[in-house]
Amino acid sequence: MSSQFDLFGKPEPEPELEPEREPEPWTARPVARERQRTVLSVTDLTANIRGILENAYAEVWVEAEISNCRLWNTGHLYFTLKDPGAQIKAVMFKSDVRSLKFKPEDGLHVIVRGRISVYEPKGEYQIVCERMEPHGLGALQLAFDQLKRRLQSEGLFDASRKRALPSLPRKIGIVTSLDGAAIRDIIKVLGRRYPNAHLVIRPARVQGEGAAAEIARGIRDIANVAGIDVVIVGRGGGSVEDLWAFNDEGVARAIAASPVPIISAVGHEVDFTIADFAADVRAPTPSAAAEIVVARKEDFCSHIDRLSQRLTGAVRGSVARLESRVHQLNRRPGFAGWSARLAMRGRHSAETTHALRHAARAAVSQRLRAFQALRLQLEQYDLRRRLGSVRARLVGVDGALRAAAMHRHHGAEARLHTCAARLDSLSPLSVLGRGYAVVWDQSRTRVIRRASDVKRGDGVRVTLSEGELTCEVVKTDGPDN
Amino acid sequence: MDPTIKDFEAAIAELETIVKKLEEGDLALEKSLELYERGVQLSRFCHMRLEEAEKRIEILNERGDLRPAGQMFSKDEK
Repeated sequence: MSSQFDLFGKPEPEPELEPEREPEPWTARPVARERQRTVLSVTDLTANIRGILENAYAEVWVEAEISNCRLWNTGHLYFTLKDPGAQIKAVMFKSDVRSLKFKPEDGLHVIVRGRISVYEPKGEYQIVCERMEPHGLGALQLAFDQLKRRLQSEGLFDASRKRALPSLPRKIGIVTSLDGAAIRDIIKVLGRRYPNAHLVIRPARVQGEGAAAEIARGIRDIANVAGIDVVIVGRGGGSVEDLWAFNDEGVARAIAASPVPIISAVGHEVDFTIADFAADVRAPTPSAAAEIVVARKEDFCSHIDRLSQRLTGAVRGSVARLESRVHQLNRRPGFAGWSARLAMRGRHSAETTHALRHAARAAVSQRLRAFQALRLQLEQYDLRRRLGSVRARLVGVDGALRAAAMHRHHGAEARLHTCAARLDSLSPLSVLGRGYAVVWDQSRTRVIRRASDVKRGDGVRVTLSEGELTCEVVKTDGPDN
Repeated sequence: MDPTIKDFEAAIAELETIVKKLEEGDLALEKSLELYERGVQLSRFCHMRLEEAEKRIEILNERGDLRPAGQMFSKDEK
């Protein structure tokens, strides 16, 4: 004993105790003075205290503020309950922590139900909490606020994360209950507004134990089905508890992680869920979700209509320009030039020139007819008059565009080439070049077309591609001979 | 499917660009005809995509199998 006190230096002389005075706690001597001593071990004493406390406070309700709150990796939650006058250590074991709907945090004002217990190794008493509810606010509301705040701070609800819906979904995924009103509403609306919709439904319970996990897994599974490029997740309206699965963190994360955009459709108008915040688009009801998908298709159709109209307008403008060039072509000096040159070759060339003119006119009028046909086609194709089906509309566009595209070969430049080629083929020079010859009478004023035009002994002249021959008829052989 | 058209969105965007270009005029004839041809191609693609889906309802089960929903919802349809 004395050696222990040496650690603190020389002990002061013990003061003389007044009889009434309470003894120092470590001096048992005066207490023992008047009774028979009962010496307890610390363990026994603590066990006694524990018995008393745990009996007296087997169930107690306490209102307090939480501080020093820590969740250990064992799953147990340690914290302090306090008010301005006192504090008490508190613990909540894993099994009870799991049933909490909200997360206990420092500063939170709560009401707990628990029992007092003594932790003997440390001689500490504490309250073992079995239930906890937020004071004032409902537990669900609090949980909702907490989760919302947390996910928000993680950026899960950021507008920059929101993806655009596809204009035209190939397949629409739906995660909901097969028995609920939601699926029937969606099918009804889609059937009306998007008759050839391809739906893939992933059935999931939407309320009760395990619903949230099923929804989250459903979202993950369905988003990976080939061709699905938008998913509707939802259920019809209900109480806050009914909708609770959609306030689940796992569901929110599955939505945020989905490779395809998600439309949330929970409840009726006013109920916002965590899923709504996480989704790319929030629809107030399942029917509205179906309308959002279909409305996109309608937007698209009228957009195509407008584009097609404008394309048609542009085609018309082009055709009008082509027409005016056709007329100009008729007056091109090139034509006159050819005529003049041919005329110089003699009066028979006049025939050729006439033929050439005729051919050129025919070529031009053939193209004018083609143009008229095209114009007729374009006028019949009146987009302002909505046809019965989108298919018919687009087939119409195709037709007009195809006609216009084919017209490229009839473009003014191409036409010039065609005419030039024809001029070439009609030119005597060109024919002669291919090995033909022109036979004239001796005076070279008349082309010999029939054997009967000459008789034996007549002289004729033969124009070749290069040069001329003067010949004598040896024999005539023809119908008139 | 035409490899030069990425997807529906891209087809629409390109069609819009073509219409704009054509409306501005000032194009060489050959060029504008080229654009018409492309416009035909794009509108055909859109048309195909619009009509390619068939009315169908399938159920995706937990094992990842797809099966037709059959008559499950037919009574709700108009």
